[in-house]
Amino acid sequence: MFMTLKKHMLAASVSVAALLPLSAAAQEATFVLGTNEVGIPSYNLLTAVNTNTVYSMIYDNLVAQDSDLSFHPYLAESWDEAPDGMSWTFHLKPGVKFHNGKALTSADIAKFIEMFRSTESSYMVDAIEKVETPDDLTVKFVMKHPDPNILYNLASSFMGIPDPDAVEALGDDYGITEAVGTGPFKLESFTLGQETVVVRNDDYAWGSPLSANKGPAKLERITFREIPEDSTAFLELKSGGVDGLLSIPTDYLKDISSDPALSVAPIPGQEVYYMPINVTKEPFTDIKVREAAAYAINQEEILQNVFSGYGAVANNFLISALPEAQIDPAVNISFNPDKANALLDEAGWVKGADGVREKDGKKLTVSLWTQNDSVFRRLTEVVQAQLKAVGFDPQIQTFDSSTIRDQYKSGEQQLAVRSYFWNNADIVDWFFGGDRLGYPNVSMFNDPKAEELRTKAMTGSKTGEERTANFKAYHEYVTSQFPYAPIYQPPQNMAYNKEHITMPETLHGTSITGVVMVDVEAKE
Amino acid sequence: MSLKGTLNSIGRALRTPKGAISGAWLALVVLGAIFAPVLTPYDYDIQDLPNAFAAPSFAHWLGTDEFGRDLLTRVLYGARTSLSVSVLSISVSVFTGMVLGAAAGYFGGAFDRAVTIFVDLTWSFPEILIALILVAIIGPGITGTMVAIAVAYLAQFTRLTRAQIMAIRSETYIEAAKSLGARDSFILLRHLLPNSLAPVLVAGMLATGDAIILEATLGFFGLGAQPPTPSWGSMMSSGSALLFKAPWIIVFPGLAVAITVVAINLFGDALIRALDIKTRLREA
Repeated sequence: MFMTLKKHMLAASVSVAALLPLSAAAQEATFVLGTNEVGIPSYNLLTAVNTNTVYSMIYDNLVAQDSDLSFHPYLAESWDEAPDGMSWTFHLKPGVKFHNGKALTSADIAKFIEMFRSTESSYMVDAIEKVETPDDLTVKFVMKHPDPNILYNLASSFMGIPDPDAVEALGDDYGITEAVGTGPFKLESFTLGQETVVVRNDDYAWGSPLSANKGPAKLERITFREIPEDSTAFLELKSGGVDGLLSIPTDYLKDISSDPALSVAPIPGQEVYYMPINVTKEPFTDIKVREAAAYAINQEEILQNVFSGYGAVANNFLISALPEAQIDPAVNISFNPDKANALLDEAGWVKGADGVREKDGKKLTVSLWTQNDSVFRRLTEVVQAQLKAVGFDPQIQTFDSSTIRDQYKSGEQQLAVRSYFWNNADIVDWFFGGDRLGYPNVSMFNDPKAEELRTKAMTGSKTGEERTANFKAYHEYVTSQFPYAPIYQPPQNMAYNKEHITMPETLHGTSITGVVMVDVEAKE
Repeated sequence: MSLKGTLNSIGRALRTPKGAISGAWLALVVLGAIFAPVLTPYDYDIQDLPNAFAAPSFAHWLGTDEFGRDLLTRVLYGARTSLSVSVLSISVSVFTGMVLGAAAGYFGGAFDRAVTIFVDLTWSFPEILIALILVAIIGPGITGTMVAIAVAYLAQFTRLTRAQIMAIRSETYIEAAKSLGARDSFILLRHLLPNSLAPVLVAGMLATGDAIILEATLGFFGLGAQPPTPSWGSMMSSGSALLFKAPWIIVFPGLAVAITVVAINLFGDALIRALDIKTRLREA
């Protein structure tokens, strides 16, 4: 009886301590993950189809990519590429240890690459024939064919290095109860759909050159919360309940800038909004009608009025930062209502009394699919009005965000409004490859010339320059066939409470990752 | 005649304060919905993007929405969607429910058992769940919403009619009619249905209030009327994301739903009292 009472009292005092406001000196912070990062099922890279920011806290990569898309040493101190591109040798940093105390060796990398071959993202290591380990700190990839994109893949959030033995030993529990990497933070707890808590890795001494701090992180403990509703997350930030939001919609930018306690930090954008056009559905089998639909989209009006001028217009499929986005300006697509009207006239669609065009007694009524998020619904209504202005009669159909991908697989869509997150040109292959019709190839685009250019771009490039040239040609050709209309490139912004935390002056990396987080400090 | 009696009762209900206030609001909403094109100089679907998010002013009494469209115009046209969808689908539901319920209650037997099983099955699910499943099958839009609402409330009216019929069926005057050689259809149409009409109509009235909420819910999920057709639910849904930027976008359609549903319920209450349903049933 007495024991139980004592236990209760102990438990009570612990929970009271937990309820007390954190003392200012505690190096702790709470961030809210972006709404597109919500719902990660585990921290196991080998079963992941989506990753979130926390992955990069737990796992380090062999190489790091900066915001200017250049590559830098990380777990690999240096690397050499054979002149013919048929092998890559990585020299590992000495003294790196996993969270469980085990030293990182080349054998771990070799085992990880083999395990990675059975994942959804296995295409990333397809070009690697075999992995050789001449000594503990040297890894050599022998290639099937040159792959200039290998550094990008190794730097991606999908290829952080876990302890392959721990992954094997824990089985299904791996990534949920425990996750073992070499990153600056260790997984403490993970509650699906709610929050992930990480604590500092005190042994950390192998920060990348992109971080100012090469040693253990300044923060001792970080809580990453998942809040699926933007307005709720914004309210939490405003009321001081959290210290930062990793992604904020443009709607709140003005409110945040006018709040003296809050600050906005821009992150390189990776998202593109676009309108896929199903090339297999009447009337879009006629390229003139596709062209007209593409030229009817007023990118500037959308930028100014839907997104308050924040971000940039999109004129082709890729984010502007990529060299492959610099295609022939004549192929780029931007608003041209006269051309759109002329093309529809040419194609035989005549404007009726109600402003809707007709041909052979059939109205130019088309379906316009969208998903049920507020930004998409808003954008789609503006797109609908813009298409109406040149004589289309678009009927919006709204689908749940989680089921719309399955709907696309039916191939019944005509037009849709979508977006993607990626900062590599191989996204053109993902969304327009002839073997992925329906989804991801929402446009159902399957063109022999495009397929030829695609193969050349994906596997036929020996050097980075060659790959860029090949992808540029592929991207340019796809765009010239109008299987989509580009719309908008949103800015990525994080917002934080500057009275609570200090962010590094320049944010390195392609998003907020462990590279940034080791430099974040809580205010005393 | 009971239809005349019902009309008289509506008159009686309107003379109570509760009935008068709620009736006035409902009349206002119905008239606003019917005469929307005359009442406002704006179109509900023409965007005026530079004028988006304007606060309530003399030019725009309730402000403008995220596309610069006049919110009062959208609320009035939204009333058209909400009222027509809920009244039409509940009417279909009441009519089908009465036919099914009357037939089941009067004839009994295997047909009654089949109807009862079907009704109990749908009764055991919440209306919103049935509606969501149906909309998923039929597809989003006004048709899908109407079918969903009609089916979701069918069980209620079938049960009610069946119970009424069962109660009156064994009355002596029915027995008398039968022994005088009246046909089944005569007994059903002349005696049974008129005498069970009032409670079903009141239940239908109250269900219309629920149907407005269900329609708004489906609209909120983006499954109801598709843009640019306004509906109170979809307006609230887009307003919820803009709560801090332009609170009027969610507040006014929200008030419209709330006040209308409360008015329907108050009027229903007044009607129940005026009809004095229980007494009338006993007399019958």
